[in-house]
Amino acid sequence: MAHIPDGVLSWPVLASGIVTSLAGCAYGLKKLEPMAIPRTAVLSASFFVAALVHFPVGPTSVHLMLNGLIGLLLGWVAVPAIMIGLLLQALLFGFGGMIVLGVNTFNLALPALLCHGLFQLSRKSHNHKLIILTAGICGFLGVSLTAVLVALSLALSGKEFISAAQLVVFAHLPIMVIESVFTASAIALLLRVKPAALDTNWSEEPNHDDAESQNETGAQFTADSRAIESKVYVRA
Amino acid sequence: MSERKALALFILLCALFGASSAKAHKLKTFATAIGAEISGYAYFAPGGRAQNAQVVITREDGSLAAHLQTNDQGEFSYLADQRTRLTIHVDAGDGHEADTHIAAADLPSTLPLANNSSAASRPIESLKGTDSPTASSLDLQQQIETALARQLRPLREQLDAWQEQIWLHDILGGLGYIIGLAGLAYGLTNNKRSTKPNSSTKRTKA
Repeated sequence: MAHIPDGVLSWPVLASGIVTSLAGCAYGLKKLEPMAIPRTAVLSASFFVAALVHFPVGPTSVHLMLNGLIGLLLGWVAVPAIMIGLLLQALLFGFGGMIVLGVNTFNLALPALLCHGLFQLSRKSHNHKLIILTAGICGFLGVSLTAVLVALSLALSGKEFISAAQLVVFAHLPIMVIESVFTASAIALLLRVKPAALDTNWSEEPNHDDAESQNETGAQFTADSRAIESKVYVRA
Repeated sequence: MSERKALALFILLCALFGASSAKAHKLKTFATAIGAEISGYAYFAPGGRAQNAQVVITREDGSLAAHLQTNDQGEFSYLADQRTRLTIHVDAGDGHEADTHIAAADLPSTLPLANNSSAASRPIESLKGTDSPTASSLDLQQQIETALARQLRPLREQLDAWQEQIWLHDILGGLGYIIGLAGLAYGLTNNKRSTKPNSSTKRTKA
């Protein structure tokens, strides 16, 4: 569903999709810090492959999208991550198309950004249950908002909104639930194992890599104190 | 680190699962002409027929030949009334659309030609006109063509499905591209990296 093929949408919709996606992508790339690159690449790769995991629903089948999770973990950087994933899917698998890439990126990235905003708000509460619940909601919202945006792009191109929305949204109800559970469990795992991974404000994030490298060179005390400091920083 | 390991494991699982079962998620249409009857079906490439999809068949001159709907099996059929190139457009309604064509040469030569089509575009047609074969030989030719079309249909279906298959090397190639782009991004952000220590010292002082 998130892969509208070429030749379906009207030119104004295509053009505005290209412009907004390119702008978002440029802004995301500007925000891309070197230490965020591995995570961005891994999530982009997950997105690229996730579309191959299909669940049969009635006459059709739906696939994982993961845009909620990508939004939570990447923030603005999610836009280039999704765009690269979609570009490769179009080139290698024939999903979607090249001209429609902008609209498809927009439809997936906007919900990702909204999820990110919502999730960061919930993180201020420091209540783990609330954070995990929000992650679940974000997984759900990522897919459902994308479905609505797809229906909207079809409607703006002269298709009937209600029937398109019904088809798209109802077909994706199961995937919304699956993504919701998946996102919530991924965030729950990260909260337990590596809470710092949920920070997307890279420039203000305490530098864990520095702490590790100093530890190796023998500056045990400094490293420990910085590690403690960073933990305090994360909790605060 | 554990985050990356977990995600790497997930990608690997997806890749293995995907490689075994996945095909492209898009709408495809398959149609062949057996005699004057055009039959086909619309399907989503990872399994499942497109039920109740709108099928619009147009002739070469752009005129509407038929407006149909696929049945519960995603199938549709149409009896051609002119020997012209037909375009079959299927719209599943949710943004999935697909096109396929039936060449004029696939339709029986007994059908009337499209009114405004030029004879030059169909050399076979004009040739037959000058030959003036007997009725029985035309009939025989017709039977052979129909039988052949029937025999070829499963082969065409297989070829169509084969085209849509996603191969492991596609998936691995995509992952390779992403790794390459990540390396490129790492190199291009070299400036940011070299200014990093300054910013971190500022932070610790603050």
